[in-house]
Amino acid sequence: MNEQRKDILDLLAEGKITAVEAEQLIAALERGQPTAAPGAEPRPKAKAKYLRVQVDAVEGGEQARVNVRVPLQLLRAGVKLAALIPPQALSQATVELNKSGVPFDLTQLKPEQLEELIEHLDEVTVEVDQPDAKVRVFCE
Amino acid sequence: MPQLVTVRVERPAGRPVRLWVPVLPIALVLLPVLVLAAGLALVAAVVYRVNVLTALAGGWRVFSALRGTQIDVAHGRTAVLVAIR
Repeated sequence: MNEQRKDILDLLAEGKITAVEAEQLIAALERGQPTAAPGAEPRPKAKAKYLRVQVDAVEGGEQARVNVRVPLQLLRAGVKLAALIPPQALSQATVELNKSGVPFDLTQLKPEQLEELIEHLDEVTVEVDQPDAKVRVFCE
Repeated sequence: MPQLVTVRVERPAGRPVRLWVPVLPIALVLLPVLVLAAGLALVAAVVYRVNVLTALAGGWRVFSALRGTQIDVAHGRTAVLVAIR
């Protein structure tokens, strides 16, 4: 076990960081380490498995944090299930969206398009940086 | 398929609460409720003219894909972590 990893586990044992924070630190440590010997061909990038949403904000003077990890497989399964929604329900939802000021036609959204969107999600990183909040959406 | 759901609740006062919920035994205990829910879903599928088998397969796919989901919310000294393994 290397020294940095041991330090992280010590912090976790002392209760100074949570298990999730320790996991993130170890993951960051692993990302920072060289994965191949010098001169060797770079390995192909591993396919992303999870969509991660991280929000750090200050609310009412207190630190707030949201960290959600969703398997991409779950999004794919959800898209397949959403394809079963009857067209009349989609039309009704579209009408309600329009009434709420969201001009979005759900009936025009095809399951294949959503699947394609999920396939390419691993190339997307969204970062919003505000003085009192930071949002990061990415795949890992 | 998910095997274990871990729930951890931290509050400003008191010790953190940790729960390990094994999915399969709980599903077996709740089997009568699940059968009832499946029956209702079946009726809904027939009423809305949705292919019952496709709907069941889709539901099972969503359930199976839940493994690896993790939700961690913290505000001040209050925190809730739900992890599905």
